[in-house]
Order: sequence, then C-alpha cells, then structure tokens
Amino acid sequence: MAARSGMVRSGSSARQVAAFATLAAVAVFFVVPIVWLVLQPSNAVVRPWSFGSFDQIAQTWNQIFATNWIGGDTLLWLGNSTLYSAAGAAIAVGLCIPAGYGLAVTDFVGRRALLITTMVVMLIPANALVLPLFLEANAVHLLSSPLAVILPYGLFPFGVYLAYLYFDTARVHDLLTAARMDGCDEWQAFRRVAVPLAAPVAALIAVLDFVASWTNYFLPWVMYGALNTTGRYPVALGIAAQLIPGQTSGSYIGNLQLTTTTPPAEIALLILVTSAPVIVVFVFAQRWIGAGRLQGVFG
Amino acid sequence: MLLVVVGVVPTAYAAELALTSFTGHFSGLTNFVESHDDFRFLPAFENIASFLAIWLTALLVLVVGLSLLLHSMNRRVSAAFRFVFYLPAALAGSASVMIWLFMLQPGDSPWDFALRLLGYKTLGGPLAPGALPVVFALIAFWTGAGIWILVMYGALTSIPREVLEAAQLDGAGVWRTVVSVKLPLIKKWIGFMLIVAFAAGTQLFTEPELTSQAARGLVSPTWSPNQLATWFAFRTDNFNYAAAICIDLLAIGLLCASVVVFRSGLFRTD
Repeated sequence: MAARSGMVRSGSSARQVAAFATLAAVAVFFVVPIVWLVLQPSNAVVRPWSFGSFDQIAQTWNQIFATNWIGGDTLLWLGNSTLYSAAGAAIAVGLCIPAGYGLAVTDFVGRRALLITTMVVMLIPANALVLPLFLEANAVHLLSSPLAVILPYGLFPFGVYLAYLYFDTARVHDLLTAARMDGCDEWQAFRRVAVPLAAPVAALIAVLDFVASWTNYFLPWVMYGALNTTGRYPVALGIAAQLIPGQTSGSYIGNLQLTTTTPPAEIALLILVTSAPVIVVFVFAQRWIGAGRLQGVFG
Repeated sequence: MLLVVVGVVPTAYAAELALTSFTGHFSGLTNFVESHDDFRFLPAFENIASFLAIWLTALLVLVVGLSLLLHSMNRRVSAAFRFVFYLPAALAGSASVMIWLFMLQPGDSPWDFALRLLGYKTLGGPLAPGALPVVFALIAFWTGAGIWILVMYGALTSIPREVLEAAQLDGAGVWRTVVSVKLPLIKKWIGFMLIVAFAAGTQLFTEPELTSQAARGLVSPTWSPNQLATWFAFRTDNFNYAAAICIDLLAIGLLCASVVVFRSGLFRTD
C-alpha cells in the first residue's frame, strides 16, 4: 500500500516536473530575443550573450537622440506616435462611452442590428480596412495629415462593445431609474450618472486603443511610408527605416547579410526606448487588461 | 435621442469607409477578373495558405497545450509564465520583425548554434523561399501567441471548480479530465481563436514586407496578398486592382466575423 501511494505521488510529481520543463523551454524561446535586445545597447560590436558596459549604453543613448543621428529622428517619431495614439485613444473613449451607453440603456429601432454591426466590425481584422482607408484618405486629400491615422485609430468597435457590457447591468439600470425619479432628464442622467461611473471602462478602452495604435505598422506605412512622408513617421516606421536592402557577397543571392543604417546596439536601444511606454502600461495593467479582454469576450 | 445619434457614429463611420472603397471599382467585375489573372496573384495566395497552415497548427497545438499546462500550475508560477509569453506583444510589429532578422543572422544571433546546426551560414539560408512560411509563422507566434494563451487560460479558469472536483471524484485521471471535461468546455474558444487568427493571418503584411526589404531580390515584394494590393496601389498606381484585392480580403474577414457572431454564441447580442 505504502509503496503504491508512493508510486502514485512520484508519478504525479514527475508529471509536474515535465509540465514545468515544457513551459520553461517555451519561455526560453520567448525570452532569449528579449535578453538579446536588452544586452545589445551595452556592446560596441554584436556579442549575443554578454553585457558590455554602462558607459557604452550611455554612448548608444546619446547616439540615438543626437540631432545628426544617421538612423533618423527618434524624438520626432516618439512625438508623432504619442500624438497619434493619444488623440486616437481620446476619440475612441469619446465615441465608445456614449455609444455603448446608448446601446445599453435606450431602446430604439435597429438597436440589435447596430449591436451586431459593431461586433462584426470589431472582429474584422484591422488590416482589412487599411487599404480602403488609404483610398478614402487619398480621395479627400488627407494623406499628408496626421488625421489620416488619428481618425482610424479613433474607431474602436471593441471599445463600444466593452462599454455596452459595462453599462448593461442591473446596477446601472437601477441607478438611472433612480436618477430619473429624482428629476434628471436624459442628458443629465448621462452626464451626472453614466459618465462618472464610466471611469474604469474608459481607462481600459484608452489603454487598449493606445497600445494597438502604438504598435501598428501597416496603416502608417500606407499613409506615410509608401510616399516617404518621413516627417510624419511614428516609431514603428522609424524602426523599419533602419533596414537597407541586404548586401550579397559574390553572385549567389543566398549569400545575404542583414544590413542596417546603424549598428545593432543602436537599433536595439531604439526598440527598447520606443517600446517603453507600452511596457510601462503593460506592467501596470497586465491583470487588468487580461481581465478586461476576457470580460469583453465572455459577455 | 441625442445618445442614439452618437451611438450610430462609429459604426456609420465604418460603413462609410466600406462604401467608399466600393466606389473605386463599381464599374463591374473587370478589376477582379484582371487582378486575379495577374501572374503574382496565385503565388501570393499560395504563400498565405502555407503560412496559415503552419501558423494555425502551431496556435492549435501550442496555445491549447500550454494553457492546459499553465492551468495545472499554481497561480504564481502560471502568472510569471503568462507574463513572459505576453511580453513580446509590447513591441511594435516592425520591432519584432527587426529583432527576428537579427535572430536569423548567423554570427550575430544568440541562436547561432541552432542556425549552424541547420546548415545556415548567411541570412539567405533561413530566408530561402521554402522556409519563409515557417519563419513568418515563427515571428507571428512569438509576437501574438501570448494574448491567445491569456484568453485560453481565462477560459480554463472559468470552468467551475465543482465540475473538476466531480470529475476527480468519479475517478477521472489527468488525461481523462483534459479530454472529457476541459477540452469540451473550451471548444468554443478554440474555434473562436482559429477563425479570428485565420482572418488576421490572411492580412499578413508587416513580416513579409520588412523581410523583403531586408532581402531584396531573394524575398518577393508581393509575397502576401496585402503586399500585392499595396504593390498595385503604389508601384503601378492601379488603385482599382488594389481595391479589388482588398475587397477579396475584406470579404474573408467579414465572413469569418459573421460566423463568430452568429454561430459561436460567444457574444451577447441582446
């Protein structure tokens, strides 16, 4: 008996060890590129696994923020990205909250159709709308304007759905009924009751939209990259601009070397610096984003 | 009523965008027929099909498998792993492709030993045409699998504890619980992931675009359908062909989205 239960236990703990080992192996795959990224800025020449010096990091830092940096203009890209993402998130919140509220608390003809449309648009991949947007922006001569990316970033149907779920609860309905009994008209009920209640879901929408816009490549590429409007580049385009067509040694095209405008150390630091805002948001909102997304999809 | 009007705005905006793209080629189906006959059209869709086959298999096997493993760990340990898997999503899409180009460059890469083991001496090795779908799937998985692991793990944690305890009392072992209880209960979510990932995968752009920039002459600049559409728009100034291809892709996206909304029962529509 004792031997038997011992075997069972060692069987299940062996299983635990195997599970842990599998997860750890996959984690290595995920983490090695990040480790490489963090180590590179400290090295003058590429050394995949070693830390150089803090002096070298400072030097790399000064390089990528220098006005005559050969890679481009890091500050300009950061500024552009901040403008696009923040303005897009502000519009998204401004539209999603009233829209979600309207869908949740008022009953009007076509409400269900509107809700279904919202969900279908929310599930269409964002990239599918990029070229139609380009054709439209081209038609109305908005191509060189920041609005060409800000307006699309402001369209965030997932946020409408989140706001709808948030407002469509018994608690909110009760509060609104109470407010109306106290003599609030529809506008006051929205202004005084719904808006103050909306703070958490508004923050969630802002975070999700900001991150999605910050990391987007295809839309700004189509609007600015393809036409070389370099003054409007966000960070995603600035990073990609470091690539130059690879050199091949000899006549065989397979002898390809990765060629970049600047050393890997500078590109790695550029990537870290430009990802920092998103990483900060992630670290603070990790559980929250997970919970929010799930709340959204679980309905 | 005012709220209703504001409620209509974002969706109307989307509808307007969809309609404006139509005006470009309402002349008939000529643009569709001609762009589909282009010699680059078929290869682009074949490329994306082989990418999708690899990527969706990886998502199905690895995301579901890893989520089940995470679900068997204690909360602290699994939270740490989930964070690691999610971390690459913080990088701009172009940044993760850039990083992976360095990862695939023999000599500079921390994976140097693996690259040499595979017989690659230059970047041209891993970027040979036959290997590209695997490489793009690898990059897409590294960047995007984390969020799906979170979703799948969330679905697993929503299984009531009593259900799992009942299974245990009935004498179900670990495998039995996974196969007969956990998998059937998250089946919907697996379907949801595959459909959404399929639709998103047909839109692949950043990975092949940057790779073709880095390896001009080796990687086709019209590798994926979206690249082909932008090629028509910017290289040949043929907006109509570009519109035809993006309507094709939009139709796929719309179809997938409708399937999820109407058939999955995952979304509350009232």
